[in-house]
Amino acid sequence: MSSGHPSSPAASPIPAHVSLPAPSVWPGLLALGLTLAAAGLVGSRVLSIVGAVLCVVGGIGWFLQVLPHDRHEDVSVDAKPVTIAVSHRKVSRMAAAQAPHRARLPLEIYPISAGIKGGLAGSVAMAVSAILYGVISHGSVWYPINLLGAVVYAQTEVSTAQISAFHIELLLVATVLHLTTSILVGLLYGAILPMLPRRPILVGGVFAPLVWTGLLYSVLDLIDPLLNQRIDWLWFLVSQVAFGVVAGLVVVRQVRVPTWQFPLAARAGIESPGMMHEVGEQNPPR
Amino acid sequence: MASESIALRVHKSPLHVVYECVATADHKKIGLMYIVYALLFLVVMGIEAILMRIQLSHANATFLSPEVFNRLFTLHGTTGVFFVAMPILFGFGNYLVPLMIGARDMAFPRLNAFSFWMTAFGGFFLYASFFAGGGLSQAGSAPDVGWFAYAPLTSPTFSPGHSTDYWTLSLLLAGVGSIGAAVNFIATILCMRCPGMTLSRMPLLAWMNLVMGGLILVTISPLTAAQLMLMADRYIGGHFFDTAAGGSVVMWMHFFWIFGHPEVYVLIIPCFGFVSEIVPVFSRKAMFGYPAMVAASVSIGFVSLGVWAHHMFTVGMPSYGNAFFVLTTMVVAVPTGIKIFNWLATIWGGKIRFATPMLFCIGFLFQFLIAGLTGIMLATAPFDWQLSASYFVVAHFHYVIVGGILFTIFAGFYYWYPKITGRMLNETLGKWHFWIFLIGFHLTFDFMHIPGLLGMPRRVYTYEAGRGWETWNMISSIGAIFQAAGILIFVYNMIVSYFHGALAGNDPWDAWTLEWATTSPPPDYNFAGVPAVRSRRPLWDIKHPDDPDWKYE
Repeated sequence: MSSGHPSSPAASPIPAHVSLPAPSVWPGLLALGLTLAAAGLVGSRVLSIVGAVLCVVGGIGWFLQVLPHDRHEDVSVDAKPVTIAVSHRKVSRMAAAQAPHRARLPLEIYPISAGIKGGLAGSVAMAVSAILYGVISHGSVWYPINLLGAVVYAQTEVSTAQISAFHIELLLVATVLHLTTSILVGLLYGAILPMLPRRPILVGGVFAPLVWTGLLYSVLDLIDPLLNQRIDWLWFLVSQVAFGVVAGLVVVRQVRVPTWQFPLAARAGIESPGMMHEVGEQNPPR
Repeated sequence: MASESIALRVHKSPLHVVYECVATADHKKIGLMYIVYALLFLVVMGIEAILMRIQLSHANATFLSPEVFNRLFTLHGTTGVFFVAMPILFGFGNYLVPLMIGARDMAFPRLNAFSFWMTAFGGFFLYASFFAGGGLSQAGSAPDVGWFAYAPLTSPTFSPGHSTDYWTLSLLLAGVGSIGAAVNFIATILCMRCPGMTLSRMPLLAWMNLVMGGLILVTISPLTAAQLMLMADRYIGGHFFDTAAGGSVVMWMHFFWIFGHPEVYVLIIPCFGFVSEIVPVFSRKAMFGYPAMVAASVSIGFVSLGVWAHHMFTVGMPSYGNAFFVLTTMVVAVPTGIKIFNWLATIWGGKIRFATPMLFCIGFLFQFLIAGLTGIMLATAPFDWQLSASYFVVAHFHYVIVGGILFTIFAGFYYWYPKITGRMLNETLGKWHFWIFLIGFHLTFDFMHIPGLLGMPRRVYTYEAGRGWETWNMISSIGAIFQAAGILIFVYNMIVSYFHGALAGNDPWDAWTLEWATTSPPPDYNFAGVPAVRSRRPLWDIKHPDDPDWKYE
């Protein structure tokens, strides 16, 4: 750790004296001068004049103290070094199955591709259930697609017939929105599912869609009342659960990979104490 | 611990002490002067608060006149922000940052002294308004325009005499000091870290002071510009904020709040640093998610620069403006939530020691969460339209400033007092302080939300009976007495412990950062030899050579 005492953090030899900045009244005097100069604006002009004089004196005094060289004073160093005792208390370690000491948990995660695959599979399941809803309730496959597109592309109130009709722009918007969101949620599943110790499909596929649907149900009337009127919440929940279950099943069937046990900076070789420099090795000078 | 050496206190003549204070360039002495100065003003602003709470404790009270009430809330707010919270945080930062990063002093010691004196004179100048006499209107001399001094209240028409000038000039003077302090913090932290202390191993308190310094540089500038424009309006016939002559009162609001809201983060971010230093030590665990904590703090700093107009929803901004500031304000909740979860995760599973610093940190965690939630409520423009300028807002920001900032400052006092003085604060008195202050805080500010919801506007000097506000105001006022009692215990504890407290030793908390690797109090030179570190917890590495952190970071 150090070149000096083994239980001290000191890296350099202890000197007899240390140079510190010499005390100076000039900064305080300059501050007083500026204050008095300002006080003249609410009082006598004499105050401003005195303040200006103090500013000049303080400024010159300060300059002379730091130019051409900063003035220092030597302070004697206490001969008795500060030592830090080695603790006799041992660290008790939690027993985790097959986990090395100080592991980054979880030990294994799903690869990014698992999240993408899960998201795409879930998007198909959700699309099927949504289209089923459109056909059953409104006799149109376009109804749910247009509703989704209307999230970002709707200005005025429209009739049911209009929503049930084909609109290329809404189809494009809905497709991009659906695929993007599905992949992102799939990635989220891939990251979160390894952290759910038990019944990941139940939590990720049923519980999470329930919470999400409940949240939207409670706020959509405030955010977009027109859209809220068109939502069949039971079918909405069914399509969310379809996504969650399918995406979850696809993700958990992928092969897990080990988690990197060192941070990115260490892996990249930017900063790797303990790996690049062994115990007792001197730290490189800055 | 008591067997460890502590530095001897050398008795000096009063004149020598005065000279040392005036001339010192030592970061520790300057830090202590900031802290003592801020504590004096804390007492002053506390007295102002008590006076206002007496006036508001019952309906139709005549304890204070409307004019005096206006002056009191103006000075209470201005003092609290500029002459208590900022100086006390500058003081802790000055004292601790060089010690924590293994430096001998701040980067610019004399600028440091200059910054302190500018801040100090700014505060004294503000209060000189009470006694300055000449040139004042019959209304008296102290400023009475509120701490954000909206135009046109500050125009010569509505504010004759010099009261507003005192306010403007004092903030200008203190602003120069703040900018000097910010420059010093940034330069010190970026350039004076000891060998091995990379940014990713720096104590979180140093990180927080770095963010604070950056925010101050960005935000004090528009405030200073606005003060200069206001002076131009008042002294040389400018019309910056004179609507009748083509100026804009809304422009003042923008200038003020682009300073004013980030200012909240200038104050709370160093407090985050206190919590991040104290919670791990008293949980006996390393900080959970250090990189996320740094990233979240830097994010908060950036996002906080884009939220200022949520103070102006009732002004009548375009809907896009409202939507933008609603969204940006809500975005702040994301990094803030990360920080709260990380603190909780640090405590989770730890071997928790409920010493006084930890108690105050736990109080902070709970209260800051509530403050954040009411902040989210007020960030919603339609909600704000109903409750803007009501006591709900007053309760919200006092939850932040008292429940968040002041609680962590108390935690900092109990944690670092042994390092600063060499003696422990009395733990029993500390716990009395905590519980009484906690009760007082919740009595005052929990119940203050309710009259706000019932429509009580802020800044009214009294109110009619029968509006349903009396009981809540009485409870709030009783709470203020509890808080004052808590503060008295704290002050008594500090004074008595300074002379009779148990010897602290160098490292009374078995902590891990560098300030505990030197004597208590530290010598002028901080460390005999320049320290070197290899992890975020250098003292852990030394104490536990069988299991050092540097193998795993």
